[in-house]
Amino acid sequence: MNENETELKVQALVDGELTGREAEDLHERLESDDGLRELHERLTAMRGLMTGAELPRTLPESGDFHWSQISKAIEREERQAKHMARPASGANWLLRWVLPLAGIACLVLVLSLQQTTMPDLDILLGSDHEIELSEDEIELMTFNTGDDAMSVVWLDYSIDLQQDSLQRWLD
Amino acid sequence: MNRFTILVALLLLVSGGFVAAQADPITVQARLVHGTSKEQKGKMRVPAALKKKLARVFKWMHYYQLNSKQLNIADATTKSAKLSKTASIKVTNRKNDKIAVSLYSKGKMLVQKTQSLRPGSYMVLAGNAGSDSAWFIVLSKSK
Repeated sequence: MNENETELKVQALVDGELTGREAEDLHERLESDDGLRELHERLTAMRGLMTGAELPRTLPESGDFHWSQISKAIEREERQAKHMARPASGANWLLRWVLPLAGIACLVLVLSLQQTTMPDLDILLGSDHEIELSEDEIELMTFNTGDDAMSVVWLDYSIDLQQDSLQRWLD
Repeated sequence: MNRFTILVALLLLVSGGFVAAQADPITVQARLVHGTSKEQKGKMRVPAALKKKLARVFKWMHYYQLNSKQLNIADATTKSAKLSKTASIKVTNRKNDKIAVSLYSKGKMLVQKTQSLRPGSYMVLAGNAGSDSAWFIVLSKSK
C-alpha cells in the first residue's frame, strides 16, 4: 500500500467510512506509526472544527420566478378544464368515426381483392376416395381436378427417387 | 312357355350376369415423375398433355419422367412394378372398371387407392421430394 493510499485510509477512518477488520488494522498501524498518528490527529481536529460550522445554502429563487410558476399552474388548470367541458368538434367526430370506418372499408376491400385474385386451381376436394392406409398414420390429402380427369392423393411422405441400376439395366 | 325355355332363359341371365361381373384385361401405364422448379437438361420430359394437367394444379413448372412401366393385367389379377430403388406399386384389375393401386416404399405399404380409371384420365399419388420438388406416380389406362 503506498503512502497516498494510506493517507486516504486515515481520512476514511476519520470520516467513519472504515468498519470492522480494516479499521482495526489501521488503528494498530496508528499506534506504531507516529507520522500516521499525527495525520490522524490533525484530520480529527479539523473535522471537529468543521462540524456544525457549515452554513446551510439554498439556491436563490427570485419572487418573479415564484409568481411565474403559480401563474403557469393556474393557466394549465384552466386549459384542462376547458378541454374537458368542450363538446366534440367536427374534426373530432371525423377522427372518432370516419377514419376507423375508412380503415375497415380498406381492409374489406383488400381481403375481397385477394379472394378474387387467388389462383383458380380448379380442384374439388373430396372425401369419397376409396383409400386404405398403412398403420403408419401418414397424413394425406385427396382431390380431383374440376374436369374429373385426374385424381390426386398427396402424401406427407418422401420416397427415394433414385433408380435401381440393375433394374435399369434389365429394362 | 315350357320348362326348357324357362331354363334356357335362366341360364342366359346367370351367364350374362357373370360376364358383366368379369373385368376385361387392362393395360395400365405407371410413370414415376419428378416435378421441380429448376430445369434439368438431358432428362426425359413427361408428355405435354400430362405436364399440362400437373402444372395446372401443382406449382412446379418442369416434370421429368424417371421411369415408366406398362402393365397388362388380366381380370382379378395383380401386377407389380418397381419404379425406383425403394418404391414400387401393385395394381389389381377389379370389376366395374376399377383398379386398386398399392404404393410400397422399402417393402412397406403406404397407401392403397381404389377407383375407376377411364382412358385419358390419371390417378396420381404424390408427395414432396426434398426441397422445392415433388415425386408423382401417375397411372393411366390405355384404350
